[in-house]
Amino acid sequence: MADAEQIYEAMRKSIETYDSDAAVAASEEAVAAGLDLLEAVEKGFANPIRELGEAFDRMEIFLPELTLGADAMKAGVAVLEKALNEQGGKLETKATVVIGTVEGDIHDIGKSVVGTLLQANGYEVHDLGVEVPATRIIEAAESHEANVIALSALLSTTMLYQRDVIELLKNRGIRDKYFVIVGGAPVTQAWADEIGADGFAHDAFEAVGLLDGAMGGRNS
Amino acid sequence: MNFKEIAKRCETGPLTESKDFLMKTVAAPAMKLAKEYAIAWDGKTFVNLDDDLADRCFQAGRELFIHSGLYSMNSNRVVQFSEREVDEALRAVRGQVQMGAGKDRVTIHHRGVEDPRAPFIFCGPFNANVHEDMFVRLNEAFSRERIVDCLFFPGYLNEVDGQLIRPNSALATRMAILYGQWSREAVRRAGRPDMPIAGHAVMAPGEIACTNEAWGLRSTDPRAMVLISELQVDDVTMTRLAYYTAIGCPIYMAFTPLIGGYGGSPAGTAVVAVASFIASIMLGGEIVHIGPQHMKYKQQTNQHSLFLSSLANQAIARNSQIIATTSHTTSGRPGSAQYAYEFSALALASVTSGSNVSGPRPAEPLGNNNVSPLMGVLFAEVARAAAGMSRAAATPIVEALYDKYKDHLDLENAPKGQPFEELYDLGTLEPTAEHRAVYDQVKEELVALGVPLH
Repeated sequence: MADAEQIYEAMRKSIETYDSDAAVAASEEAVAAGLDLLEAVEKGFANPIRELGEAFDRMEIFLPELTLGADAMKAGVAVLEKALNEQGGKLETKATVVIGTVEGDIHDIGKSVVGTLLQANGYEVHDLGVEVPATRIIEAAESHEANVIALSALLSTTMLYQRDVIELLKNRGIRDKYFVIVGGAPVTQAWADEIGADGFAHDAFEAVGLLDGAMGGRNS
Repeated sequence: MNFKEIAKRCETGPLTESKDFLMKTVAAPAMKLAKEYAIAWDGKTFVNLDDDLADRCFQAGRELFIHSGLYSMNSNRVVQFSEREVDEALRAVRGQVQMGAGKDRVTIHHRGVEDPRAPFIFCGPFNANVHEDMFVRLNEAFSRERIVDCLFFPGYLNEVDGQLIRPNSALATRMAILYGQWSREAVRRAGRPDMPIAGHAVMAPGEIACTNEAWGLRSTDPRAMVLISELQVDDVTMTRLAYYTAIGCPIYMAFTPLIGGYGGSPAGTAVVAVASFIASIMLGGEIVHIGPQHMKYKQQTNQHSLFLSSLANQAIARNSQIIATTSHTTSGRPGSAQYAYEFSALALASVTSGSNVSGPRPAEPLGNNNVSPLMGVLFAEVARAAAGMSRAAATPIVEALYDKYKDHLDLENAPKGQPFEELYDLGTLEPTAEHRAVYDQVKEELVALGVPLH
């Protein structure tokens, strides 16, 4: 049986080659070898996916590669997480994020990149897709016990629904439970301030930095 | 192909998940075709000079579209086309479209690479947020500039009577009606009552409500729709198409290939762009607008976008009669010299590559009314000056202009510019002396660089 370093290397390789099947196989090997599964997540998957994210930012790789790499990571981590749960353990994440494009807006790509990079950086992400009504976003946040709600809008007309999510949170008396961030082409810091969002990010990397700062502060 | 048949295929094509369409049907084949046809960017070129590369790009894009078809986002079905249908549609493209009426009627043409004919100028607020109090005045200022052929996207009215507009609401329909009335009023005040107005009011089907032959947008006005990246169409666009096709509006079909997205590199994205041009004509688009988006820069004057625009436009110009127009989106904002450097660089690249022009606008306008008709005039002048220039002559000028703004592409740090009401005297509708001075200064610089502005 391969030693820990060889298994971590196989995991890293699976991300670099965007190979979900190889990621699952390496994770199964890690479980069978009785490795420290949290360490396996960090050394085998977290580091290479972060590197992939950085390569994406430098435009050395593109969205398809990032998506395939993230899919491989998800497939591999799912195996490790299942085993960890069976052992009574729990996968540590920085925070749980519910993300979606607001009602009336079908734009998916920017939101998906944010979700992928958050995942790559240690967040549990629940991507609700596009055209998501405010009530559904809040229900998902509640059911996933999220810390963060991330709202995307690509049209100046649909930005309004970002405001509605925050108003609805207030109406339900649960506004303080969530760190709400907004983004999308027409969205600005001024709009975020106007509607009472906690943060605004121009792009996926800014969103990661914003949440790292905010969640670090919250944890401390 | 008639609209009814495409609408039917939206309901009957193979059921496919969106991610599978994008990853397996578009991304993987686009990259494979880019490799097979040796379509690559050398990391240096601003304006493509290689005709054979342009022709290979066309072949790869045509092949991609025959393979991929279009994705109907609401029905989750792929609208497929045969090779014969695609080639018939390409052969059927007429290469010219009339718009407007009476003595304000104008014609847009397909242009070739290094074509000496003047490009058609779509110019206006280009969907910047425009406050209701300023809507008519600002559009009047654009419309009275004779160099502008068609008033372009008169602006988003985000609120009416101080009330923010919710999509698909009754207020959105009321807003659309005001949009039609006020746009027509603006061109009337400018003395060009029948001037074409390229309309793109709101996302709602209520936009149809701004159509009225007496007071609003007319069947002689081009109406715009946007494909979703990549090669996707939604019910709202199909609804608009159903109506505009029936009343005979010239169809202005836009698409926004995403550099760094599912096409990957600038070269792979050029292949997707050609496929999107073809998708646009399959849907009935008569004027096809390319507006490349960039994962990192989110504007269109970065080097990747300059190259992509030149390559994709040349591919279309050399191998079809499609009427292309390129959008011009900048980091710098109206009122700044950078704004003009940027749109000039892209206009030189796109016009010499066979495109007409649409724009300009800042990628991230700040607040309402962040537009300048005077900068629109300079944009049009540069575009016209570029007609007949060779790509080789345009290239060093594009490079010199790029050098002026390349360190300020970041939207956050790009010049903030000023709103219309600070750049213009609202009484006379003339630019302020300060704004005129920026125009004069940039124009002098452009002449010194070799742009034949007269």
